Amino acid sequence: MRKYRVIYKSVLMENLQYAANVAMGFFSYFVFIYIFVKLWEYMYRMPGERIAGYTKEQMIWYVMMTEMIWFGSNVASVANEVAGDIRSGDIAYRINKPYHYTLYILTKYTGEWSIRLPMYAVFAAVIGMVMVGPLPKFGLREVPVMALCVILGLTINAVFKLCISLFSFWIEDTTPFQWLYDKVILVVGTIFPIEIFPEILQPLFKLTPIYTVCYGPAKLIVDFSPEKCVEILAAQLLYLVGGCGVMLLVYRKGVKKLYVNGG
Amino acid sequence: MQAIKVEHLSKTFRVKRKEKGMKGSIKAILHPQTEEIRAVKDVSFVVEEGEVLAFIGPNGAGKSTTIKMLTGILYPDGGCAKVLGMDPTKKRRQLAYGIGTVFGQKEQLWTHLTPYDNFRFFGAIYDLSEKETEIRIDELSNRFGLGDFINTPVRNLSLGQRIRCEIVASLLHRPKVLFLDEPTIGLDPVVKETVRELIRQMNREEHTTIFLTSHDVGDIEKLCRRIIIVNDGQIVLDDSVEHLKHHYPDHSLEEIITEIYKAKELTAVG
Repeated sequence: MRKYRVIYKSVLMENLQYAANVAMGFFSYFVFIYIFVKLWEYMYRMPGERIAGYTKEQMIWYVMMTEMIWFGSNVASVANEVAGDIRSGDIAYRINKPYHYTLYILTKYTGEWSIRLPMYAVFAAVIGMVMVGPLPKFGLREVPVMALCVILGLTINAVFKLCISLFSFWIEDTTPFQWLYDKVILVVGTIFPIEIFPEILQPLFKLTPIYTVCYGPAKLIVDFSPEKCVEILAAQLLYLVGGCGVMLLVYRKGVKKLYVNGG
Repeated sequence: MQAIKVEHLSKTFRVKRKEKGMKGSIKAILHPQTEEIRAVKDVSFVVEEGEVLAFIGPNGAGKSTTIKMLTGILYPDGGCAKVLGMDPTKKRRQLAYGIGTVFGQKEQLWTHLTPYDNFRFFGAIYDLSEKETEIRIDELSNRFGLGDFINTPVRNLSLGQRIRCEIVASLLHRPKVLFLDEPTIGLDPVVKETVRELIRQMNREEHTTIFLTSHDVGDIEKLCRRIIIVNDGQIVLDDSVEHLKHHYPDHSLEEIITEIYKAKELTAVG
């Protein structure tokens, strides 16, 4: 484990130099949230009204949390870097080291979001308190389990994106698949909670990564309950184990097909 | 003891083919065509421990493919290879502890970190303790003269300084076999000479087996005692430098190699 800890530390050191660049993304985040605040203020006309079981404050905080996860983990390592490494052949110079390439990439990704996500979390908390006010049922005691749920969600997202990237061993370009996955997560997962969709679709969404990546962590933050917490964490663990299994299988099969330019 | 043993090693690539122009592009979508290219054909050789071997040949001869099979990056289609007694494809991670690689045209260092931080990183990757890593960094830093720039981010180093750091990074874990793929490419003559001297010193003092590919005859002349020339995936010559010089007493090594290339109808050395 020490080597992965050192990889993580090295990525932190490298990315700390660019912390100021992360702050540049706050503007896009703010514009996005501002639009949704106005939209939901328009939709919630009556004080205390609920839509799909959410109060106005919960609904806006939900969007802020899912967008925080989205913006805070939007890094290149699991998507572009892996696919680029395979296409260019640079993967050859990464896999001949005594670590597992997929764990190396996941560790790198963790190091990258470890700087971005806390910055976005602080920014989201500040603008949330100013624009919406505190969440009624939010308890500091539940923060560790919420953080665990967010981390598991990010890791599941990375595993799925990595699986897509690893298909570069067989196909020329995985960008369209990454784009599709990102858009499904962004449009369906981050903007609205699952409860807002027709009941017939809700079980279907629960089977997709949306449930474990965005919905689960944000739901626990805005409307925590021990039963929901157990359900979401169990789903995340299942997804993580299954996703890692697929990832390792795809990697093992793919690396045997590696063709490197110039040998 | 044998450091590397290769028997009837072969590798075939399947490469896409497309006819020229727009018509060819459309046809390639409807009827994709591929062609098999035999990059390495039935190659066999042995490298003894502590030996310094030049593995040379024109571009596309199969040198890098062979190195990549010996380091476990590519899977051979036929034959077998043993490096330090291990099959590189089956025990790639275990083998990584015993070998080092320097690819002159590729960076393995993290460019935003300093060489020192990079070396600490590689020390941990190769399971060296912190104390061992520090001792080794000190030792290699002195030997390779990195003192002036060991705390400068790699992206700010000159090519010569970077290559010296690349070699140090690949030596931290005391590999028994070092694969050098064009280590002096792009370096000026003075730096080239320094790098060669350092490699020679390392071979002498640590008894490291060196497997070198280079288009620079100077590298071969200054470092190697044996040459294998490959062309079109096959070995066309396997001889000692001394023996070659004995047969061509009035020629430089560059002239001898060019003669051999011509005699075997190979394209000129890079």
